[in-house]
Amino acid sequence: MSAAQELPLEALEAGAPDRLSYWALVRVQFGKNRPAVWGLWSVVGLFVLATAAPLIAMDKPFLWIGEEGLESPLLGALFNRLIFENGVDIFFNLLLVLSPLYLLAAVALRRAGRFGVRGAGALVAAHLALTTLVVPETWFGLENPLHHEAPVVDYRARQVELEKAGEPATALFPPRRIHYRETDPERSVQPPGGSLWLGTDVEGRDVFVRMLYGTRISLTIGVVAVGIYVWIGVVLGALAGYLGGWWDVIISRLIEVMICIPSFFLILTLVALVEDRSIFQVMVIIGVTSWTGVARLVRAEFLQQRELEYALAARALGLPRWRVIFRHILPNALGPVLVSATFGVASAILIESSLAFLGLGDPSVPSWGETLNVGRLEMKYWLIFAPGLAIFFVVSVFNLVGEGLRDALDPKLRT
Amino acid sequence: MRAYVLKRLLLMIPTFFGISLVVFLVLNLAPGHPGGSQLASDLAASVKGAATDESHRIFREQFGLDRPVLLNTYLWLDREDVARALADMAGHEGATAADRIRAQQQIEDWGRWAVPHLVAEMNQSQEPLIRDVAVYTLRLASRRPLVDPFAPRPTPEQRAENQRRNAENEQVRSMRYALDAPEAEKERVIGEWNAWYAEAKPRFQPSGVDKLASFFLETRFARYWANLLRLDFGVSLVTREPVLETLIGKLRYSLSLSITSLLLGYLIALPIGIYSAVDKDSFADRSVTVFLFMLYSLPTFFVGTLLLFWFSEGSSVPWLRWFPIGGWQSPEAGELTSLAQMRDVTWHLVLPVLCMTYGSFAALSRYMRTGLLGVISSDYVRTARAKGLPERRVILSHAVRNGLLPVITLLAGLLPAILGGSVIVEVIFDVPGMGRWLIESIYQRDYNVIMATQLLSTLLVLFGILVSDLGYALVDPRIRYQ
Repeated sequence: MSAAQELPLEALEAGAPDRLSYWALVRVQFGKNRPAVWGLWSVVGLFVLATAAPLIAMDKPFLWIGEEGLESPLLGALFNRLIFENGVDIFFNLLLVLSPLYLLAAVALRRAGRFGVRGAGALVAAHLALTTLVVPETWFGLENPLHHEAPVVDYRARQVELEKAGEPATALFPPRRIHYRETDPERSVQPPGGSLWLGTDVEGRDVFVRMLYGTRISLTIGVVAVGIYVWIGVVLGALAGYLGGWWDVIISRLIEVMICIPSFFLILTLVALVEDRSIFQVMVIIGVTSWTGVARLVRAEFLQQRELEYALAARALGLPRWRVIFRHILPNALGPVLVSATFGVASAILIESSLAFLGLGDPSVPSWGETLNVGRLEMKYWLIFAPGLAIFFVVSVFNLVGEGLRDALDPKLRT
Repeated sequence: MRAYVLKRLLLMIPTFFGISLVVFLVLNLAPGHPGGSQLASDLAASVKGAATDESHRIFREQFGLDRPVLLNTYLWLDREDVARALADMAGHEGATAADRIRAQQQIEDWGRWAVPHLVAEMNQSQEPLIRDVAVYTLRLASRRPLVDPFAPRPTPEQRAENQRRNAENEQVRSMRYALDAPEAEKERVIGEWNAWYAEAKPRFQPSGVDKLASFFLETRFARYWANLLRLDFGVSLVTREPVLETLIGKLRYSLSLSITSLLLGYLIALPIGIYSAVDKDSFADRSVTVFLFMLYSLPTFFVGTLLLFWFSEGSSVPWLRWFPIGGWQSPEAGELTSLAQMRDVTWHLVLPVLCMTYGSFAALSRYMRTGLLGVISSDYVRTARAKGLPERRVILSHAVRNGLLPVITLLAGLLPAILGGSVIVEVIFDVPGMGRWLIESIYQRDYNVIMATQLLSTLLVLFGILVSDLGYALVDPRIRYQ
């Protein structure tokens, strides 16, 4: 099959078949795979859900018109460190508040014709930078002015009081008026029903709310862990493949050694040895133990590509080595890495929930695996199905996207 | 072929060495103490009396915890390090009780490498307190370790040498004074120490070869390997039983689980893969593909919990209570005939094997399908058809053989996954195998057990890779191993 046959009509009509880049081709190909597209939209949906979680379930009202006039306790609570102390929550809360701004920026960039991988990357980087400004308690020893701690007011109780007093406040609460950490010993292991959409766990925490906020944890685990190991794998693989010689010998041995260690055993050991582990440590541990696959892929690609003419030309121009490696060859070697990273997100999520299932997670975050473990011990259907299906859904969605990408990148399958 | 296998076996040695290095470093450099809370309380108790102090030291010595992890850097110990530790012990500059214990332990660990510096401090320090502390710690540092103290059958020479060392240690131990002793008494003891040092000095001035040897060999890692070469994996820090024996006992359970599920996986997956490749894009193929995809994305712990929830004795559906809730056999199994025992074990195995199989089975059939699809359109298959062979033979004896290649390679990748998955399956179904033992040991920080389990499972993986490479040669006659 020749290349011309494969091009979509629109591109031909635009009179610029030669301007359709490799990645544009991949995109067109991906678009034909309906399950994959559906998977991609589900991923987007999951991110939206994770971001909007406080709008769905939170114990503070959006709007409160009381004696002090109009206020929005929810907005303040989003950054109150006594209510959300976890970095993951801060990341998503910040995203929730700033999302209109980001959308505007994206639209503006698109108008200017610059909303590509770089534009999106810049937005993500900006948001990450903002989050790292907000999260820490101190900035190099100085107090962080963005670190906000305010007394926690129980608005639900206040409203009840005011109603008794006969002058109820006007309050607009989210549909579920509950925080994911809120325990209630009187409501332990309640089946679903009424306002309890998915029942409660042993400590009386609302399972639905924990599932909802657990989305944040799972998505972050997947993306961050994979981000870490893609970096390690790309750098090591590129060095081994491009430089060859001793670099290759040492890195290849290292890969061989790491592949033979059952990685789940290693992760278990590492996670258990860290005292008072946080979810970020879990991410780093998954990241530093899983890079071998990517390194092998990148090494193989580099071995092939470094002999090609364009690489030779870049070398002949006298460009510095790192530039040839990262700016010239790497973009051409990224295809398989992207596929493996997408599958990697699914498996990182699986690993984290397995750890939580074995009681080795971060107890302060609402992990799906932890709820499932409670379900196994209690043998209650709502504690088994809710987290189990949630994990299944997220994992299969990422697997679908990964398969779609793999097929789209494989020229043999192009139709 | 034999030469090739031999070569591969030899190549395994450096890989195995590398793996042991990685796992060892991870275990030893991670924060926290081996033996977990037990040791922490030992340490706390060591503040109180010398008796616990002694037992604590013996514990550290027995497990080699008094040595540096990988390379002996105590060689370059200088007087300032020692002086700092002494100052900590003497309680200078707001050193806490924990600092004091740590400093003392540090000097004990330095051992003979610190002795010359301690003697120098003792003689030259301006402060009487530092001098007193130096004398106190000299007793600890100059203690000579026994030769192979845990040997089951020591030789007469060894015994004689150890007796000599014990006597010397006893003598050194007695060279001490109380802090409030009269100055003359202190002078006398210091004189004793100087006399002792003048005599023992050569021992503390190692030659270059000695230094080089101890740089690599006087370490935890070298010690571990020295034991490993004698197939000694140490004893469990918790039960004090030899790790290897227990591990082999546990391996029986884990291996029967994983081998059964692997065989079963291949047995079911290959026909399904072949079928769906031959009937590509048919309704059956599509539904099988979707089904396998779903199986592939289902987490093991969810499936395991579901199996228990539906099909075990604890099931909420009364007429589905088919299988036991967990364990390896029924409590009354001892009274059964061997045939009934077999049946009993099989009965217990059904759910865990099912739970372990479905994942590998899904992966395998997908690989089989892709592998066969890649081959089915090649020329030699067309030739076979053109010869007029029946389709059955074309597929089964011509195409499948080559289509098997990716499936065989997958074996190497499946093994670590299956071993890793065994932890979860064994925990869910209460199987007393290696995986569950590993996680229990991890909770208790039982280093020797963790290390041995990891090494043994890697060894299994290494052999799995070898088997898969040999299988490759078996299927593909183009590959000839020289």
